[in-house]
Amino acid sequence: MQYMLLIYENEEVFGGPEKDGPAMADIRVRHFNFLSNLGDKRVAGGGLKGTAYATTVRTVDGAQTIHDGPFPEAKEQLGGYYVVEAADLDEAIAIAKQVPLGRDGAIEIRPLIAMPPGVSVQR
Amino acid sequence: MASALLEQTYRSAGGRIIAALAARFRDLDLAEEALAEACSRAAKVWPGSGPPDAPSAWLYRTAERAALDMVRRRQVRQTLLPEPPEPEPNAEDLMSSDDANIPEERLRLIFICCHPAVAPDSRAALTLRLVCGLEIAEIARAFLTNDIALQQRLVRAKRKIREAGVSFEVPGPEHWAERLSAVLSTLEVAYSKAHEDAAGSGRHAGFAAEMLGLTALLASMMPDEAEVQALAAIIRFAEARRPARLGADGSMIPLSEQDPARWSTELITDARRYCGRALSIGLPAPRILNMMIHALWCGRRSLDDPPPWKAVLSAYDMLLALQDNPIVTINRAVALAEVEGPDAALAAIAALEPERFATFLPYQALMGDLLARAGDTTAARAAFDRALELGPGEAEWRYLAARRAALSDA
Repeated sequence: MQYMLLIYENEEVFGGPEKDGPAMADIRVRHFNFLSNLGDKRVAGGGLKGTAYATTVRTVDGAQTIHDGPFPEAKEQLGGYYVVEAADLDEAIAIAKQVPLGRDGAIEIRPLIAMPPGVSVQR
Repeated sequence: MASALLEQTYRSAGGRIIAALAARFRDLDLAEEALAEACSRAAKVWPGSGPPDAPSAWLYRTAERAALDMVRRRQVRQTLLPEPPEPEPNAEDLMSSDDANIPEERLRLIFICCHPAVAPDSRAALTLRLVCGLEIAEIARAFLTNDIALQQRLVRAKRKIREAGVSFEVPGPEHWAERLSAVLSTLEVAYSKAHEDAAGSGRHAGFAAEMLGLTALLASMMPDEAEVQALAAIIRFAEARRPARLGADGSMIPLSEQDPARWSTELITDARRYCGRALSIGLPAPRILNMMIHALWCGRRSLDDPPPWKAVLSAYDMLLALQDNPIVTINRAVALAEVEGPDAALAAIAALEPERFATFLPYQALMGDLLARAGDTTAARAAFDRALELGPGEAEWRYLAARRAALSDA
């Protein structure tokens, strides 16, 4: 099964909405190490720039509007994600526990909806 | 009539059959439906042909065939499903007798139902339904909800297990520390529901019996896990005292006033075996200390034996060092009041902020008791009033109301 691991952390740890603090260099190295341990269980993944650079396209009753900022506003923001291949939820949980964090945070584990045969997420 | 036999067979072997089918087909719904189908066939066939010699094995075989049929029908509908594994051939199946024919997969089912990714209340309900085979209505009553709401909760839990890819394997011992605590706390929730309910109506004697069976099973499968043995002991000690928990007027009798002559010596003997086993493995875990407190109480032979308050207090001292939480503080204060007097106990719970516990029943009940003993009748009356407003169960309500009434006389 494929699972997406969504990484939620308070951006203040990384210098605020622009994520330009000194903690960024450190966490990058740790993610790099995490990735090398992950090997071919990694399907996809990436870090996100801070919410200062987020734009939201909202659709209400068919009308689309464009807004500055993330959706939704919260104490912890989505900061990055991985998509991993795991045998079951227990393996996904074990991987999620290894995801580096700047300080406190949460990793949400979401199973991906299965693709029809022949279609796969880019590796 | 075969219906009593069917009911009895379902009660005794249902969990085992569902577990075996779930392990093989990796699908809880399918396992449940297949067993239901087998039961309805039994209800039709047994009265005419006479009940089979090995009713559990009959039910299992029939459910297995029903499950295979269901899988085939599904495959016709959506050809993407993988082939189910072939049944393991066993020529002696119908010769040898009964339960032995059903693969023992209940441990696996317990780990699936008690996965920490499932919401805690749903874990307990699911375990009672699938592993213990309790009726929806019975579980709904114990969880103070209605059948429809409980049914929905079970459906959501099963869907979560399926869609999130919860493993159908028993986790390796290296993961037991984390996974077992979810299993044990689930069983504790399940038992406390049975325990609370029985104080009121006594309807759930069977429910508690299921918990005895389940903890015995777990203890036999994990003989080296101290906390598993401890839980088996705790549930037996608590069950042993059930006959003495209520007075003739239906009001709660506090532990120290219960007549040990009314406790079940059989269950206490059984509990001591698990207790000894748990202690031989050792580890000063909170569950072990809780077990020791139960064991101390159940060591009392009659009301003439002095209550073991001192020993109970030192056990709570150790427990508090491991697990500093309000429940432990409150229970320790009960013992402290007996050993050192109500003022010492009031001083000990002064650490708990009164505003935070305004709506916490055990806190208000204890405050009422301590203030009454310290001679502050007005404050005691107010605390008992608050406790009564918080909606205790019938037995505890009667007890607290009597305590309050006794104050007014003084």
